Amino acid sequence: MSILLDGLSLGAVYALIALGYTMVYGIAKMLNFAHGDVIMVGAYAIYSTMALNTNPFIAMAVAIVVCTVMGIVIEKFAYKPLRGASPLAVLITAIGVSNLLQGIAQLIYGSTSIAFTVANFKTVHILGSEISVGTILTLVVGAIIMIGLTLFVKKTRTGRAMLAVSEDSGAARLMGVNVDKIIMLTFAIGSALAAFASLFYIIRIPSVTPTLGAMPGIKAFTAAVIGGIGSIPGAMLGGILLGMIEQICKHNPTIEAYTTAIEFCLLIVILLVKPVGLLGKRRREKV
Amino acid sequence: MGYVSNVKKTFKLKYCFNYIGVAAFLVLMIILSSTGVLSRSAVNLLPKIAYSIILAVSLNLVVGFLGELSLGHAGFMCVGAYLGSYFSIFLHNYIDNSLVCFLISLVVGGLLAAVFGFIIGLPALRLKGDYLAIVTLAFGEIVRNVFKNLSFFGGAMGLKTDKIKLQSSTLYIVAFILVLVVLFLIQNLIRSKHGRAITAIRDNEIAAKAMGINVTYYKLFVFVISAFFAGVAGVIYGHYYTPILYSAFDYNYSIEILVMVVIGGIGSISGSIIAATVITYINFMLQNNLSGDLAAVRLLVYAIILIAIVIFNNAPALKPIKDKLNFKNLSAKLFKKKESTIVDDDVAWNRIESKIRMDELLSIDVKKQDGEFSDPDKPTKEGK
Amino acid sequence: MKNFKKVIGVLLTLAIVVTCFAACGGNTGKTTGDKIVVGGTGPLTGDASQYGISVQQGAQLAIDEINAAGGMNGIQLEFIMKDDKALAAETATAYDQLMDAGMQISIGSTTTGSCEAFAAKAVEDNLFFITPSASAASVIEGRKNGFRVCFGDPDQGVLAADTLVNDYKMKNIGCIYDTSDTYSTGVYDAFKAEMDKLGVSFTTKTFDAENKKDFSTQVEALKDCDVIFTPIYYTEAGLIARACAAKGVNALIFGCDGLDSVAGQIDSSVTNEIKYITPFDVESTNENISKFVASYKAKYNKAPDQFAADAYDAVYVIYNAMLKANITDANISASELCDKVAAVLTGGMEFAGTTGTMTWNADGAPNKVPTIVTVKK
Repeated sequence: MSILLDGLSLGAVYALIALGYTMVYGIAKMLNFAHGDVIMVGAYAIYSTMALNTNPFIAMAVAIVVCTVMGIVIEKFAYKPLRGASPLAVLITAIGVSNLLQGIAQLIYGSTSIAFTVANFKTVHILGSEISVGTILTLVVGAIIMIGLTLFVKKTRTGRAMLAVSEDSGAARLMGVNVDKIIMLTFAIGSALAAFASLFYIIRIPSVTPTLGAMPGIKAFTAAVIGGIGSIPGAMLGGILLGMIEQICKHNPTIEAYTTAIEFCLLIVILLVKPVGLLGKRRREKV
Repeated sequence: MGYVSNVKKTFKLKYCFNYIGVAAFLVLMIILSSTGVLSRSAVNLLPKIAYSIILAVSLNLVVGFLGELSLGHAGFMCVGAYLGSYFSIFLHNYIDNSLVCFLISLVVGGLLAAVFGFIIGLPALRLKGDYLAIVTLAFGEIVRNVFKNLSFFGGAMGLKTDKIKLQSSTLYIVAFILVLVVLFLIQNLIRSKHGRAITAIRDNEIAAKAMGINVTYYKLFVFVISAFFAGVAGVIYGHYYTPILYSAFDYNYSIEILVMVVIGGIGSISGSIIAATVITYINFMLQNNLSGDLAAVRLLVYAIILIAIVIFNNAPALKPIKDKLNFKNLSAKLFKKKESTIVDDDVAWNRIESKIRMDELLSIDVKKQDGEFSDPDKPTKEGK
Repeated sequence: MKNFKKVIGVLLTLAIVVTCFAACGGNTGKTTGDKIVVGGTGPLTGDASQYGISVQQGAQLAIDEINAAGGMNGIQLEFIMKDDKALAAETATAYDQLMDAGMQISIGSTTTGSCEAFAAKAVEDNLFFITPSASAASVIEGRKNGFRVCFGDPDQGVLAADTLVNDYKMKNIGCIYDTSDTYSTGVYDAFKAEMDKLGVSFTTKTFDAENKKDFSTQVEALKDCDVIFTPIYYTEAGLIARACAAKGVNALIFGCDGLDSVAGQIDSSVTNEIKYITPFDVESTNENISKFVASYKAKYNKAPDQFAADAYDAVYVIYNAMLKANITDANISASELCDKVAAVLTGGMEFAGTTGTMTWNADGAPNKVPTIVTVKK
C-alpha cells in the first residue's frame, strides 16, 4: 500500500515534468533538453527565498515566477532564432542551454550539495501503513494541476489555440492564431509546472545541487515518450506508470540494482509494441 | 570483390583529401614528438583524438547519412571497451605481445558491439525520429547499469587494464592508422551504391521504398556498421586508460560526440574529423587552464561556444550575415571574381552532394550485368 | 579550383592545430626553478566535487602555512590541483598536464576510481603519491610509490561489524550501501565477510549514483532495525537520516569515516543517534586539530571536513618526510625524490597530524587508532 502511494507520488512528480516536455514537443516540435535544468533553477529559487524568508508559500510563488521568466527567456534567446532550422540544431542548442544553466548554478552556489528542508511533514496512518503528509500533498496538488491543465486546454480559447497549433501550425496561423505567442505561452506554462515539480522533488529529496535536474529530466522524458509524446493525458499516464515501476523495483531486493535498466527496457518494449507510445496519435506520412 | 572494383572505379584524387589530411597530421606528430617539441600531455592526447575521430565519423554515418538521431553511441563504445578489453586480458595469457592482443581484440570488441547494434537496430525499423533517439539513449543507460552490476567486470571498481595497456607513443600511431582504415571503409561505403541507397532513405523513405530499396536491410546495416566502429573506438579506449569505468559512458558523452558531428557539419566526413580534433583539443585546453575555482567556468565556456555556433550556423535570420562572411564569397572578392551564388537549402541535411539517379538506384537490387550498365549516363530500359 | 581551396583549408587547419600543439609544448618542463611542485587531482566539478574541493582547500592551507614559515629547507612549495571529474580518462589527462607543469611529488587523487588511474601512471614514472582519501586497498597494494592517509576500506568494514555485534550487541541490523561507489562497496564487502564469520545475519538495501537521492524506499524496508549501517558519504547519509525522521524510524545510524561532517546535513527534525568511525573529530580539543580548524575557518569561512583534514595531513607528511630525507635541491627528479621519501615513510617515520598519529607499513597503508564519534542534535 505505502509502496503504491509512494510510487504514485513519485509518478506525479515525473508526470508534472513530463507535461512540460510533451507540451513543448506538441506545439514547437522540439525536444527541450533544458527542461530538467529548469527544475534545478526552481529548486535553487526556493532555497534562496527560504534562506531570507521562512514561508514556503512565498518561496513557491518566487520559484514559479523565476521558472516562468526563465522559460520565456530561454525560448526567446535560444530557440526562437532557430525556428525553421533543423530539429537537430535545436536539440543541440537545448543541450547547450542545459550546460549553461548548470554552469551558472555552479558558479553562484558552488557544486556542493546544500541540504535544506522546505517543511517538516508528519506521517499519518492510512489503511495500516505510514504515509508522509508530503507524499499526500504531492499527490493531491499534482492531481489538481493536471485536471486544471486539461480543462484549460479543452475549454478556453487560448487552450484550443494551443491544440490547433500542435495539430497544424501553418493552418492555425492562417486562422489568425499568433503562433509565436502560443509557443511562448507553452514554454511559460511548462516552466511553471517545472516549478511545482521542483517543490515536490525537494520535499522528497531535501537538498539542492547543480545537477539535480538531469536524472528526473531524463526519466520524465522517458515517461513522456512512453505515454506518447505530444499527448497531455499520455504524459500523466507515462509519469505515473514509471514512478510506480521504479518504486516496485526498488522494493524487490533481487532486481533493485537494475532499476534503471528495467525502466528503460520497459520503454523499449512499449515502443516496440506501440511505436507512438501508449496514447500517441499515429500520423500518416504523406509523400 | 565487388567492393574492391567499386573502389577502383570511383577513385578520384579529391576523395583522398581526408586521408592526406589525417596522414599529414600523423606524420607531423611523429616528427614533432621525435624531436621532443611535443609535451607529454600533448602526445597522450593523440590517442584520444584518434578515437574521437572514429566515434564522430561513425556517428555521422547514422545521423548524417541515414538521417536518424542516435543518442546512445557511448553505449556501443562501452560495450566495445568492456568486452574487447576483457577478451584482450584473456588473450594476454596466451599471447605475450600486447600489440597483437590489441589488434585481435579490436575486431572482437567491434563485432560484439555490432551485435548490440543489431539488437538496437531492430526497434529502429519501427521507430522514427525522436522515438528512436530516446530508445538509443535508453540503450546507453541500460548498458551502463548492467556493466556496473556485473562483478566479473569489476563492478563499481571498473575493469583494470594495466596488463594490456599500451604506451601512448606507440598507441597513437596505431590508432591513427586505424583512423585511416575506418575512413577508407566508411567513405567508400558512402560512395558505393549502398551509400546512395542509404542517402536515398534519408531524403525520402517512402520514395526510396518505392524504388525497390530494402529499407529494413539498409537501416539495420548502418546501425551495425556504426556500432562496430564505436566498439573499435571503445577497445582503443580500454587499451589506453585504466580502469574502464561505466561512469565515463553516460549520455552526456553520447551528446558530446553528437556535438562533434553537428559542429563539423551533418553529413560531412571532413567536418567530423576537424570538429573531433578541435573539440577534444578545446576540452583539453580548458581543463589545463581553468583549474581551481575556475573549473566551473569550463562548463559555461563550452555551453556558450556550443550555442553560439549552432545559432550562427542555423538561424534563418542570420543567413545574410553568414553569406557575407562566407569563405567562398570572401575569397571570390579577394580574387575579384564574380561572387558565387550559393544554392543553400534551409535544411542542413542537404549539404551533402547526393545526386541520386534513377538508373543507379534501380541497379541496387538487380544482379550485376556487365556491359549493360557500364555507362550509367545512358539509362537503359532494363530496370524493373 | 574547388579542390585547391579545400586543400588550402585543410592545410590552414593543420597549421593551426600544429601551432597549438607546439604552443603547449612550449611551456613544458618546470617554470619555477626554485620550487618543488606538489600535484593532485580531484573532482572540482560535478556531483562529487565537494570532496575534491575540500581536498584542494585542505592541501592549499597546509602549503600556504609551510611557505609562510619559510618553506621546506628554504625551498618554497607549489601546489597544483587539476579537475578530474572523478573519471579515469580525465585523471589520465590531468596527470600528464601535472607532469608537464613539473610535478615532483603528489597527493594522488581524491576518489578511488581516479586514484587507480593516477597510480597506474605514477608507477611508470616512479612518482611518490600519498592519497588523502582513496581508501580502496588495491590503489596502493603492490605499488611501492603509493601511500595513504585515510583508513582502508576492508579495515573499516571489519571494525564496524565487530563493534556492532560485540560491543553494541545489536540484534536487528540493517545496511544501506551505494553499489556504484568503490568506497561503499569496498567497506560493505569486508563488513559482509566479517558478519558471515560472526554468524550474524542482516538486511541489505542498496542505491546507486542514478537513484542516490531518494531513500524513502530503503528506509521503509529497514524500519524495524535497531541499527542501520551506512558505509557511504555524508551527503547521502544526511538524506538517509532525514528520510528516517520523515518515516518515524528511530534506528541508530552507524557509519564509517565518509560520514564525517554529516552534522551539517541534518536538521532538528532528525532524532536518530548517528555514530561513525573516524580518525578526525572537528570538535576535538587536541592542539593539532583545533589549530587546523581555526585556520581553515579563517581562510575558507567554513568548518573543515575529513577530506580537508586528510589532505592537510598528506601535505604535512610529504613536508616532514622531505625534511627528514634532507632534500635541499629544488630540481630533484620525481623518481629520486620518490625513492628517498618512500624510504623515510616505510622506515618507521611517525607522524602526528589532525587525523591521528600514524606510521606506515610496507604496503603504504597507515596504522592509526580510530575513534567513534557521536552526533546528536
